[in-house]
Amino acid sequence: MNYLNQQFNSLLNYWPDEDKNIRSLRSNAFNQFNESGFPTKKWEEWQFTNFSKFKNNQFRLSSADDLPSIPKSIPGLIPNLDFIFIINGHYQSQLSSSPSGVRVSTHLEDYNTDQNIYTLESKQNPFQSLNVAMMNSGVSIHIDPNQIIEKPIQVIYLMTELSEPLMNHPRFHYHLGENSQATIIEHYIGISDQPYFVNSVSHATIGVNASFNHIRIQEETKSANHIASTHYQLDTDARLKSTHFSMGAELFRHDIKLSFNGNGGEAMLNGLCLTENQQHHDQNVTVDHQNDSCHSHQLFKYILGDKSSGVFNGKVIVRGKTKLTDADQSNKNLLLSPAALMNANPQLEIYSEDVKCSHGSTTGQIDPEALFYMRSRGLSQQKATELIIGGFAKEILEPILDENISKTMNQKIHQWLMGVQKDG
Amino acid sequence: MLNIQNLHAGINGKKILKGINLSVNPGELHAIMGRNGSGKSTLANIITGRDSYEVMEGSVSFNGINLLDMSPEERALSGIFMSFQYPVVIPGVNNTYFLRAALNAKLKHNNLNELNAVDFMRLIREKLKLVKMDEKYLSRAVNDGFSGGEKKRNEILQMLTLEPTFSILDETDSGLDIDALKIVADGVNNFRTNKRSFLAITHYQRLLEYMKPDFIHVLIDGQIVKSGDKSLALELEEKGYSWLEK
Repeated sequence: MNYLNQQFNSLLNYWPDEDKNIRSLRSNAFNQFNESGFPTKKWEEWQFTNFSKFKNNQFRLSSADDLPSIPKSIPGLIPNLDFIFIINGHYQSQLSSSPSGVRVSTHLEDYNTDQNIYTLESKQNPFQSLNVAMMNSGVSIHIDPNQIIEKPIQVIYLMTELSEPLMNHPRFHYHLGENSQATIIEHYIGISDQPYFVNSVSHATIGVNASFNHIRIQEETKSANHIASTHYQLDTDARLKSTHFSMGAELFRHDIKLSFNGNGGEAMLNGLCLTENQQHHDQNVTVDHQNDSCHSHQLFKYILGDKSSGVFNGKVIVRGKTKLTDADQSNKNLLLSPAALMNANPQLEIYSEDVKCSHGSTTGQIDPEALFYMRSRGLSQQKATELIIGGFAKEILEPILDENISKTMNQKIHQWLMGVQKDG
Repeated sequence: MLNIQNLHAGINGKKILKGINLSVNPGELHAIMGRNGSGKSTLANIITGRDSYEVMEGSVSFNGINLLDMSPEERALSGIFMSFQYPVVIPGVNNTYFLRAALNAKLKHNNLNELNAVDFMRLIREKLKLVKMDEKYLSRAVNDGFSGGEKKRNEILQMLTLEPTFSILDETDSGLDIDALKIVADGVNNFRTNKRSFLAITHYQRLLEYMKPDFIHVLIDGQIVKSGDKSLALELEEKGYSWLEK
């Protein structure tokens, strides 16, 4: 971990005039990280993810010299949306649109108002500490109270033309004021032969009666490492619809945490992981019901090809004395190859009596009966397989009402299927 | 059209069919009757090419071509169809999309123009009327949330749309009330021409009251022990199968 010490010092030198409070925040977080180190197999919440290969890398923090020429067309851009473009960690405000009713600030500009967010970082997760120590990119997006932002905003975080293995520690803060509504797509894309490391943390605070639609797309290059945390905080009667797509990166770990900070919150957490080759995707979801009349619905699906592996750890906590909780959690996995591996661990921790809860997990292969049925109607084995897998993924796409987004995701899934079938 | 000679076949090394000979000519409807376990469904699975079944001896040809070398989809494209005893639910795959993909695969195979969504909808609406199905079934996933009778009607809808020359009706009457049975039988009867052939597999002669078979074969323990015309069905209804057993 020597290289991290070195990188941390060079970061402090890089921004010598940084606010004293931020300085001490960084130092404390870095000390915390050094105390724990990277997770090992002995850590229960991390036991299925192996960091030994990852630890052999030496990544350098991205600097101003790593700003490449701006691509003529921005990769991954979904048509007809507003967008924010960040390339190798550098926010390109001149290339980004600024929708009305929305304020975009770069990281740490809002340090004073966002202070309490940093204290939420978990000691159980050294990557969150590392992120705070080295946070070097990202944006905060503020939706003013009562603003209805019709057009989705796409944040593109592109890693490209890397001269050596780089790392970035982006932070995204989303603030939705009372009664506001917005859709934000947090989209990570990599176009690089070099391995790299993105360690991102996102926080969404969803105000009273506000409605947030969050779509996260992780499309890093296949040699990348992507570690992330997303924390949602829902105020009274707030609504969240979130969908998490991941298809990139060799090593992917995402911790999702949701807290109902007021009564009457409603949350949907959906996810679709597509893995092939040696990819490893690990998602750890915690939903905390600590107030009354809150509803949460989780559906996480994995489609695993080749020798890839997946982990789903889901936990729903219903605190004592809470009333009228409705929570369900479902995990469904499709193995396309006998060498693919899935570890699923859905859990409920219920300390209240007034609850309606369900959870379940299934892992299976493509139904040979369905395959034969379709072939007996004249469809080729490939076409039939494609339809069955596409049908499996569809449940995740359906709640995405924006046509441009769902069409784009549908195409991405389709392309992935064509690729994974060709290899197989 | 379909020619089966001395067919011995089974599953997991267990022989179920023990020397079947059957010839079906264009325009004919043959019925295969027999108890559970007599080999009726095995015969259907061998003709349609289900993976797990193996042929130990004999031959099956379709229009003079060896069927046993062909994949299930090749058989379907050359004109073979089976209405499944247990139609399969395929979550997330839209019924209309599936049926159009199947029809277009066939049109393409026959070097004909594929149908666009608009033309296909026009066609499918006509076919729906023939089996008295509501349009709402088109927007559902394949067989998802369909009752037993709806699934069977959906099978006949697929048959009417894909226009096979040889159709197997595997226990199409099972699980149907009398109204649904009539609808299904009418669908088949109106589809009959002197070029299309059928193999109806059934326990009971009830279905055969509505679809007039040209021949009836009784299958017992993997062999056709008796063949006859439709009067054989009535005789079976009266006497059961035991008088034919050795």
